[in-house]
Amino acid sequence: MAVGLLIGVMLFVATVCLLAASGLAARSARASFACTVAGTAAGLVAAMAVLLGPGDWEWTSALAPGGENFRLQLDGLAAFFLVLVCVVGCAGAAYACEYWPESTGSAARGRAWWNALVLSMGAVLLVSNGVHFLMAWEAFALCGYFLITLDNRYAGVRAAGWLYLAASHVGTLALIAFFASLAQSLGTWDLGPTNDVPSIAPLFWLALFGFGMKAGFFPCHIWLPSAHANAPSHVSAIMSGVAIKMGVYGIVRFGGWLPVPDAAGYVVIGIGAASAVLGIAFAFAQNDVKRLLAYCSVENIGVILIGVGAALLARSHGNAAWGGLALAGALLHVWNHGLFKSLLFFGAGSVLHATGTREMSRLGGLWKSMPWTAGLFAVGAVAVAGLPPLNGFAGEWLIYLGLFEGATTRAGFAWAVLPAAILLATAGSLALAAFAKAGGVIFLGVPRTKPAAGAHECGPGMLAPMLALATACTVIGVAPSLVWMPVARAVGTWNPAWSGAANPLFALGPAQLLLAVLAAAAGALLWKKSRANGLRRAPTWDCGFCRPTARMQYTGGSFAGIASGWFAAIFRTEHKSRRPRGPFPASAFHLDHVPETVLDRMIRPTGALIEKLSHAALGLQHGRLPFYILYLVAGLAVLGVYVFLEAAL
Amino acid sequence: MTIDWILRIALWVVLAPLLPGIINKVKAWVAGRKGPPVLQLYYDLNRLRKKSVVLSDIASPAFVVAPAVAWVAVASAAFLLPLGPADAGVSFRGDVLLMVYLLALARFCTAWAAMETGSAFEGMGAAREVSYAVLGEAAMFAAMLSLCVQTGSISLVDMLEPTSAVGTALLAAGLFIVLLAENCRVPFNDPNTHLELTMVHEVMVLDHSGPPLAAILHGASMKLLLFAVLLTTAVLPMDRFSPAGAVGALAAGILLVTVGVGLTESFLARISFRNVPLLLTMAFLLCLFSLLVAWKGCASALGSAGVPPASSGRQDACAPGDPLPSSARAWRGGAA
Repeated sequence: MAVGLLIGVMLFVATVCLLAASGLAARSARASFACTVAGTAAGLVAAMAVLLGPGDWEWTSALAPGGENFRLQLDGLAAFFLVLVCVVGCAGAAYACEYWPESTGSAARGRAWWNALVLSMGAVLLVSNGVHFLMAWEAFALCGYFLITLDNRYAGVRAAGWLYLAASHVGTLALIAFFASLAQSLGTWDLGPTNDVPSIAPLFWLALFGFGMKAGFFPCHIWLPSAHANAPSHVSAIMSGVAIKMGVYGIVRFGGWLPVPDAAGYVVIGIGAASAVLGIAFAFAQNDVKRLLAYCSVENIGVILIGVGAALLARSHGNAAWGGLALAGALLHVWNHGLFKSLLFFGAGSVLHATGTREMSRLGGLWKSMPWTAGLFAVGAVAVAGLPPLNGFAGEWLIYLGLFEGATTRAGFAWAVLPAAILLATAGSLALAAFAKAGGVIFLGVPRTKPAAGAHECGPGMLAPMLALATACTVIGVAPSLVWMPVARAVGTWNPAWSGAANPLFALGPAQLLLAVLAAAAGALLWKKSRANGLRRAPTWDCGFCRPTARMQYTGGSFAGIASGWFAAIFRTEHKSRRPRGPFPASAFHLDHVPETVLDRMIRPTGALIEKLSHAALGLQHGRLPFYILYLVAGLAVLGVYVFLEAAL
Repeated sequence: MTIDWILRIALWVVLAPLLPGIINKVKAWVAGRKGPPVLQLYYDLNRLRKKSVVLSDIASPAFVVAPAVAWVAVASAAFLLPLGPADAGVSFRGDVLLMVYLLALARFCTAWAAMETGSAFEGMGAAREVSYAVLGEAAMFAAMLSLCVQTGSISLVDMLEPTSAVGTALLAAGLFIVLLAENCRVPFNDPNTHLELTMVHEVMVLDHSGPPLAAILHGASMKLLLFAVLLTTAVLPMDRFSPAGAVGALAAGILLVTVGVGLTESFLARISFRNVPLLLTMAFLLCLFSLLVAWKGCASALGSAGVPPASSGRQDACAPGDPLPSSARAWRGGAA
């Protein structure tokens, strides 16, 4: 039991360190950061000890907050998510040291809430009691709120915070109902595998909605774009890379522990496919780089849910082995997305830091002033587009493998994998388009505005975490077999019937490594050959047009124009334009804006209607006594008539 | 093993530039012209190899590196394709997905390099390329899924050997349209023009010169050969031929596809850009129908509405239209 003891000690150390980091936040930035590093490292050791070690870890205390015994449990699935929390928790804290300095006035607050967020997410993963889960969940949601509104001088930031808080609590409400119903049906608040009680299957829908609000799948994503765009970039990174994964954790966790309705697999695949395609379509159409990344998170949650849905489907039909592959792909994608999305948000943060704008149409040509950021962003872009040889492809490849294997069985129930695979491919090619646009418009070409021209490379404090994340993306890409053991462990925890599967990545890994080496070698060779032949710099030729200016460059809006047209019915893009008139037109403009369609066209009008009806009802409350007496009499009269009629019939 | 690999790479690298030459010869023949020599692209490549490079002021080194990476991606994808009796260079479960995504990587690199120049033309080309590829890739995935469902395998070697039986005609038509779109041939794009605004691929590579341009041109010809091989092997029952017959059938098939592309270009005009998505959607629908035929054809073979056993492996689901599943592959290893 030495391993169990080690895990317990490490978790204790992690808790103490993170609490200390929170406490020291206002006193010493350096000490606080050291505590964060120590705490996340200890958490990482504990999680890896569970993933690579012999068994789960459990601990029950005599303490009973909320009237329930305090019970902690770290199994393969929870440990898998804990790894991501610790890695991004550490990388983000390091990035924040330079990105969010004391001069912002909220650096100390930021550190305090950051460590509280990491700690509360760890608590969500560890507790195994409904009451405590809700407590940890609420703490986690509140920490997120304070981090998003760190820079609360701006109205946009405050509004994003409110929206996040409201959406989060709608989800929490569903979760309270879920856990309470669960406790009532089972007679205990303790959580654990309860697959033998089929009557509680419908509760899965409550959990799906409650956790889905946090995970941000379509159309529960309404809070996500504005929250992730307006938060400081290191906060966006952990919110997008890790916090929404807590929602995925909830769905995976309770989809595994509880019996699920028959339709669950189909519904989750459907939600996943819709989120993947619509999320990335919205991302492609964005002009704000952080909004683009936020919508891309909706897509990636969709990709993960496709894998989870396939796993649910396969499990409910005799544990077909392809479900295990799909789930392994989904879980690997949880890690991958956490890594490359954090990398991309850090990159966007560096751009914002250097130029003061998130609008891509005001950027351009940044590779010259920020070559490191540009290169690292490009690595993230290749990874997020799911292209070989990086990690994004490894995860998506596993999901595809599960879906294609499901298709080849030709079992009648497996029809859903066909549209899922095709829609996943569509989302993948849209992601490629979206990141060719993001990378191209921000970093390539010529600067479009003065701030973009005067950009500067960020310091080593911001580059180092990005470099670490990019390295992780590359390593998982070229040697995916390294991470197979933790993934297989988590899959085995979810469904023991799938434990001990052979590593399907053994062939892909060498292929990806070979590709990476060949690509690097070919690139170097061609560069050398071009240099040897003579390399001359000249203005862009462009078919003989004169030197192109920034105003002649293709813009992000035009780049996405073709594909946006296909989704016009959903986007409801707002066009504003004044055409050039007369022989000497004085001015002309064309503006395209993709609104937050679900929020602006559905939620807000519904909210306005409810408000209007409430206002109408308010007319009944005027404070004049005779009328209240009249209401009473009228009410009594109606009751009397009702009773009389019932007696008569 | 090593000799097999070297021969295979040599085959792809050496033969690929022949295809555009054949297409141009066919076009010239139909138009009653003499046309450029069949080996024209070889001469061009040789010339470009020696030339110096003019690089745009605003382009980063990635502008030169990207064509190399794209070339490696296409070559690696080609390496995964089985060549009749010679099988594939590397084969594993799920290699079909790697092949499709390698082509996507090549596209990303080309689009990235196009954005490097900051020119309106090249940005426009990149936007078109990545947008139309969304539909093309959906069609490609439907086609590959249909082959997987038909043969019960997800590695290219097993998928491409038997004919796809019932849905073959649909699949062939769909894949041919995808071939035209992905290789930027008429009716999607006119490879002859350089100065027209309505272009996709050619406009993206306007600013390349010297060895990088050679890599791009060679990569494009290799991509064309890749699609021709894919189409031929997907349609023909390669496992029914003797090794020599298979090689002959493959060569004949590639020639037929190439001549077909030439004839299409001779007799068809480029369609307007508004209609490109429609044609690609048609290709997607053709592939989708072939997928449905594969799926339903199998379901009817299973008998009425009987749901197959839940954990049915592909062996007991139903036998695909392939009466000689593994015995016919006996000639494989030896021939390679």
